[in-house]
Amino acid sequence: MVDTNNLNALTQEEKKLTIDLSPTVSSMAANGEESTIEPSGAEVVFDVEKLDAFYGDFKALSNVSLQICKSEVTAFIGPSGCGKSTFLRCFNRMNDLIEGARVEGTIKYHGADLYDDEVDPVEVRRRIGMVFQKPNPFPKSIFENVAYGPRLSGVKKSKLAEVVEKSLRRSALWDEVKDRLQSSAYGLSGGQQQRLCIARAIAVQPDVVLMDEPCSALDPIATARIEELITELKNEYTIVIVTHNMQQAARMSDQTAFFSVALDSHGSRTGELVEFDKTETIFTNPHNSRTEAYITGRVG
Amino acid sequence: MSIEETRSDFHLLMDEVKSDLLRMGAHVAEGISAVTVALLAGDIDAAAVITTADDELDLLSIEAEEKCVRMLALQQPVAVDLRTILTDLRMISEIERSGDLVSNISKAIGRLRGVELEPRLRGLLDRMCEQAVRLTTLAIDAYADRDAGLASALGDLDDRLDELHNDFLDTVFASRGDRILTTQQAVQLAVIGRFYERIGDHAVNVGERVQFLVTGVLPEHTGATRARARREESSQS
Repeated sequence: MVDTNNLNALTQEEKKLTIDLSPTVSSMAANGEESTIEPSGAEVVFDVEKLDAFYGDFKALSNVSLQICKSEVTAFIGPSGCGKSTFLRCFNRMNDLIEGARVEGTIKYHGADLYDDEVDPVEVRRRIGMVFQKPNPFPKSIFENVAYGPRLSGVKKSKLAEVVEKSLRRSALWDEVKDRLQSSAYGLSGGQQQRLCIARAIAVQPDVVLMDEPCSALDPIATARIEELITELKNEYTIVIVTHNMQQAARMSDQTAFFSVALDSHGSRTGELVEFDKTETIFTNPHNSRTEAYITGRVG
Repeated sequence: MSIEETRSDFHLLMDEVKSDLLRMGAHVAEGISAVTVALLAGDIDAAAVITTADDELDLLSIEAEEKCVRMLALQQPVAVDLRTILTDLRMISEIERSGDLVSNISKAIGRLRGVELEPRLRGLLDRMCEQAVRLTTLAIDAYADRDAGLASALGDLDDRLDELHNDFLDTVFASRGDRILTTQQAVQLAVIGRFYERIGDHAVNVGERVQFLVTGVLPEHTGATRARARREESSQS
């Protein structure tokens, strides 16, 4: 499997550009498709409409429509097999890497169709970073893991140490590794490796950060630091997170989408979006009884 | 589709608190009737029993509150579970306060020793008792059945108790004017009337919490609406 953390790297020039000026993505935006603005005034980053996701003949996700806004943390919750991770991977076309995977419907990213034939998926992944559930550090030193992307982005050697320290501090790892930056990343514990991967993802300052259960391997203190970090990061980045920890979704997200499993017209199990609303609403007064049953532990 | 319960211990404890609240409500409703009978009979011994019985209500309320605190601390309740526990906590204090008012009436019986209440006052006390019991019982029913409609009707039903209370006060003051009652006795009766009226208010408060439990929206008081308007006005200027 391709390690897409390599693909997160942006050049220094690209970082200065707005997304609309992206050479591949903006070409569609320029053809009359522009980012939309929510009634609340928030800029829509992703506009998903009637999305179906398939693995071969298996329909993993059915008819999903929602909007993800800039500078917000959006959490996807739901039982195993409901398609939330599949949906997350649709946002940076990670599913393209899986044999037989395809999507129907549209995902617009800043107004441009993310799945348009002209769009280069590698370009998409440069702007939409991802942190995975399982830590996947490079077989390099701790320093090199974080410095790799910024170096490719054109960050000067004299600035690299600063970028690495800042990223490691923000991922709550600095104090534990500052004296052994040249040691192999494989010598870190699982939780430390994951925090290193988060540091690596944010070191290149992507537009969006997708996180697939990023804290599942972390202890409560490191988890709290990461949650705090995510809350800080949302001022600069749009964050979409899949989590099985509902309290984590409640604590740190602005919007929550609840996915569940349903039987489609052919009697097959498929994931579907049940409810999408402000996190406060989802966790105090959800409108859908299935959401309420799930989050209160009365699983239908 | 059958519901698979994944947090049975938590939800069993919630059911336990619900039972506690129903017991507390029944305790208060029975107490209102009993204290009125004792008041009309001038039965000081019965009044003492009622005063002591309030201790049991206090203990029940503390136990129920401890269970709520435990659930909040250990179970991280959300959605209807969170609303239920928040409602339970508020209801515990409303019902416990109603119990205190029953106890207050029973204590006042001793201070009215030897007073022969005139028929109109007796009739009004009887009807206030009936209305206070009704309001308390309906509030508890609304909670038990998660009936937001019934809960929202309690405010209107309480108007009847307020009218009876006003009639009662007028009658007490008229009796004082006619020198049937001493000033001290009149004040004591006026305070007793106020206790009945406050029991009705607590039932209305319970109804508001039940509406929140069911709908997730807190009924807004007229005063709160005015304050909100003033705040918005001042933030715009």
